Amino acid sequence: MTWDYPDWLPRALAALLVLTLLAPVFGWAAGQVGYAEPLENAAEATGATEHATAVGTALFPDYGVPGLGGAPGTFVSAVVGTALTLLVGAAIGRVLGADTDRRQ
Amino acid sequence: MHIPDGYIDLPLALLFGALAVVILSVAARRVNGEISDARAPLLGVVAASIFAAQMLDWPIPGGTSAHFVGGAFAAILLGPHLGALCVATVVTIQALIFGDGGLVVLGANVFNMAIVEVYVGYAIYRLLVPYGEFQAAFAAGWLGITAGALTAALQLGLSSAFQYQLLTTLSIMGVGHLALGLIEGAITAAVYRYLARARPDLRPNTAPEVSA
Repeated sequence: MTWDYPDWLPRALAALLVLTLLAPVFGWAAGQVGYAEPLENAAEATGATEHATAVGTALFPDYGVPGLGGAPGTFVSAVVGTALTLLVGAAIGRVLGADTDRRQ
Repeated sequence: MHIPDGYIDLPLALLFGALAVVILSVAARRVNGEISDARAPLLGVVAASIFAAQMLDWPIPGGTSAHFVGGAFAAILLGPHLGALCVATVVTIQALIFGDGGLVVLGANVFNMAIVEVYVGYAIYRLLVPYGEFQAAFAAGWLGITAGALTAALQLGLSSAFQYQLLTTLSIMGVGHLALGLIEGAITAAVYRYLARARPDLRPNTAPEVSA
């Protein structure tokens, strides 16, 4: 099986790298102003906050790495998540496109 | 907009989970075998860029913040069915690996962000594109995320954890995302404009196999 990479792929990967580098910066800045989404505001207004539970254990909880600290943990999470999503998404695209290959 | 476990009653979580599975199965069937080799990696790149962009929490002074969700963007660039599968991949990885969004309510989160936002965003884009692509992309991002938020608010407001305060959840999340959605619309339109000019070959109408 061969995979012909499109010419736009290197530039796209570079853009992804830039986004992952920005993740710790935005995370720090959002923390400075008190990050809260409307969902959290609605939960506080109705007293639902205490009902939030965690089923299962995430490998990188809250986009951090246990023991690694804020910014480095966020960066590692961004790299791991972006790479994993890239691979899974590309694999799905490949699987869904398999019939095209067979027809040729 | 990622709902944690415990916020939605189990019957509602199961209902929306089942709906998500059915709709995504139909979406996969619609595009199965229709993606060219050249466009197959695009699904991965768009999914990865949405994941990375969702990690950028926009610091908005005043206490309420937001991040890009990307449903309408994926729909415009990939077509609605592939866009839905793309965002569903992101939401699932976020829940399984990073604990962002619950596991029991994963189907509900997928329904809100990967189905409602994607298909509503795409419908708005198609409706408004005769009046200008940039404006259509902006409205798609803006109203798509608002529609997803309203669906989440409906699920929350019909659940016991939120004391069935449907009007409260609808007003807080609806108004909140209607305002924050302006950022989603601006990013959607800006990135779309850049890609449309730099790489017009990546647009779905140049590859009819992935269009609606």
